[in-house]
Amino acid sequence: MEFNPSIFIELFAETIQYWWVIIPAIFLGLIVGAIPGFSAANTIIMLLPLAIVLPVEIGFVFMIALYCSSRMGAGIPAILVNIPGTAGAAATPLDGYPMAQQGRGQQALAISFTSSVLGGLITTVLALVAMPWLAEVAFYLHSVEMIVVMLFGISLIATIAARDTLKGLVAGFFGLMIGCIGADYVYETPRGTMGFLELYDGVPLIPALIGLFAISEAMIVIDRDSILTKRGKEAVVTGGWGPTIEGVMETLKRWWHVVWTSIIGLFIGVIPGAGAAIASFVAYQQSKTYSKTPELYGTGHIEGLIAPESSNNGVTSGTLVPLIILGIPGGATAAIMLVVLQYHNVTMGTELFLNNPKLAYLPFTAMAVTYFLMIFTIPPLARYMSHVTVVRTVYMAPIVIAFTLVGAFVSRDFVFDMYLALIFGVIGYVARKTGYHVAAILIGVILGPLLETYFIRAMKMSQGDITVLFSSMLGNILWVGLLINLAVPIWFEYRRDRKKKKAA
Amino acid sequence: MSDDYLLELNRRRFLMGTVATIAAGILGSQRIADAYAADFPSRNIKIYVPTAQGGGADRNMRLVTDLWKDVLKVNFEPSFNPGAAGRVAYEQYMSKGADDGHDMLFGNMGPEVLNWVLKKPTFPLSAYEYFFRVDEDPSVIYVSKRSKLQTIDDIVAEGKKRTVNFATSRIAHPATIGVMALGKATGAKFNPIPMGGGRNTRNAVATGELDFGALPAGGMVVQRKNFNMLLLFADKNVLGDKINNAPTVNAKFGTKLPPLVSARAFAIKSSVRQKYPDRMKVLEDTLRKVVATEAYKKAVVKAKAPLELISPGGPAECAEYAKNIAAIGEEYRDFLVGADAAAKKKKKKKS
Repeated sequence: MEFNPSIFIELFAETIQYWWVIIPAIFLGLIVGAIPGFSAANTIIMLLPLAIVLPVEIGFVFMIALYCSSRMGAGIPAILVNIPGTAGAAATPLDGYPMAQQGRGQQALAISFTSSVLGGLITTVLALVAMPWLAEVAFYLHSVEMIVVMLFGISLIATIAARDTLKGLVAGFFGLMIGCIGADYVYETPRGTMGFLELYDGVPLIPALIGLFAISEAMIVIDRDSILTKRGKEAVVTGGWGPTIEGVMETLKRWWHVVWTSIIGLFIGVIPGAGAAIASFVAYQQSKTYSKTPELYGTGHIEGLIAPESSNNGVTSGTLVPLIILGIPGGATAAIMLVVLQYHNVTMGTELFLNNPKLAYLPFTAMAVTYFLMIFTIPPLARYMSHVTVVRTVYMAPIVIAFTLVGAFVSRDFVFDMYLALIFGVIGYVARKTGYHVAAILIGVILGPLLETYFIRAMKMSQGDITVLFSSMLGNILWVGLLINLAVPIWFEYRRDRKKKKAA
Repeated sequence: MSDDYLLELNRRRFLMGTVATIAAGILGSQRIADAYAADFPSRNIKIYVPTAQGGGADRNMRLVTDLWKDVLKVNFEPSFNPGAAGRVAYEQYMSKGADDGHDMLFGNMGPEVLNWVLKKPTFPLSAYEYFFRVDEDPSVIYVSKRSKLQTIDDIVAEGKKRTVNFATSRIAHPATIGVMALGKATGAKFNPIPMGGGRNTRNAVATGELDFGALPAGGMVVQRKNFNMLLLFADKNVLGDKINNAPTVNAKFGTKLPPLVSARAFAIKSSVRQKYPDRMKVLEDTLRKVVATEAYKKAVVKAKAPLELISPGGPAECAEYAKNIAAIGEEYRDFLVGADAAAKKKKKKKS
């Protein structure tokens, strides 16, 4: 299963001939990614008859292109109207939306597209070269190690809380408490469901996302005539290509940032069950921790937008590694791809590299070609998409509320979810008006249940022995990393204060 | 002609008229009912599924409905309601589903009936019935090809030395009970780790996090390149070399365990049978015909599901299965509700 560049080059040339499949899939993925409640997984399920009827190579290329572009699509509404299309884009509005408010929507979209494409391309090549080793990651990162990885993401609450410790922590714990709602992991005992059957499976993410971000934002902006700030109105440029080019250049200048945050995504993507939401929060948190200007995060900082976007596209490449090498689907989309491939009598695993190496490498070349074609097809759209920010709020707010409520409904077909989104909207509105950070609540809602699952699993395996948390070498290294990670911002701040005092 | 006569006549006429009207009504309604049966189904059929889209239940349901829709001349609208081990879908169906034969449920009888042992649903269990079983899927113990434990004897021997963790889809599952019963019979100690679904259960064993796993055998057939199947909880291994000729538990260990199988089946509100027996007949007859067709068998083979596990059964077979699995659940009640674990903890604390 050694990497053979000649096969890869030959395949790249062959795959690019499927542009007629890839380009429609890119646009379809972009649309479904941007609609809250839709995802690549449920779109592939809907198009399953088509994916099965097509020859295996074309079907595979179609699914991969859809998967990659849907990830990118989720960032568009997150930046323009503060609605993350999926949980994987939940960290994108932290800096993307303030940029849009400042009249830099076009630039923000260009940054998001460029960092997504670069992150996707880099991790695709890395995954291809390091596939056998990357596949081994899944054998070392088990429940205990995943608890620490989750804590890396959750520690973002502490970072957010840095501005107002008490409010940040209250918001974070409130989110974690909401995350505990639902039937318990082992004996299915309902907790905090208030008798609502619809909450047995936990608080659904899409209505929570929609409520906390979109609806609360719509309620806030209705006070004003535009989502743009005063400065933003003056700065808004929606006519030329300048901001797009500027966005691309700003991202290219920060190429190293794209590289390392996308690698975080790649590693997290390789772990079965972990997903883009974890990757984007961890990448954002890491980006802020090691930044020279952490105070700019959350105010429309370019690096704060690059980190989640490049990392969640890194997850896309990572998810395919265990699927191709071990036949283990890392996520829902990969699992559906596996169903289609099994239908065509394709068995994943090392044998595939011996029996049909072209098909084994195809997902990665398809991914590379998709990202390559996205360079020409997607960034130009930033100019036109950014016009959304100049729509008056009297039109925008009702459209956002109506559109997102439908999004809340479609993910599970429960009317209850629409009410839930409204409730989260009110919670988000009150939180914003009183200075509590909605992102801190959301981190708790998203990562809390995952942390609980891994924790209970580890405790069940050790039969209640808490020392299991420190039982693995890799886990202990990660614990030390986490402690360093928490200490670094304090140390940096201390140094900055000392420098300031010296200068004074 | 006295007034009384007129009154009597009127009364008689009235009574006769009433009887005649009722009789006509009954006859008429029978005809209408017949007409309804002839017209049934008059709209698309909605199916509540207690698991997520894209899983095994989804596949098995579509294999049937893709052909059934051509027979009934209506489409099927699946509604996926995963959560709380299937409880959400059942509660949704029982509270919102119509009882005219146009709404039904497709579930996995084994884990879902066991679920009621953990906690009773809000509706009486007699309010719904399984009316058509599609398959019977025995539970199997499997290991990763990388695992040190490569035979069932290795696993039992290891379980006698230490508590061996194993992956299972959920606690209330025939496969989990099978492994616990094996432990009881051999003196080995096993600890079930619920992974929440077949995919996670396979992944936990494939990545080496857990020593072995237990799942329905049907889904493991396509995975046999990654896993070795070691022991089957059935009377007979009908899958043969598709699951590495795994021996049956009773043959291997001389136990007398009942078959611990999962069984996917269509369920419907009991009131439908009372109100529309003719519609139930239409549903049962057409389903039986569909599952017997060559087209269905071809579709099963194409979907890589084992043909050997198809086991059509009517309401009587379903009721028998549900009764048996509920009895097994009652036997293992303390284990399912966690009472035995709590008792062990208390004992440990005391000592």
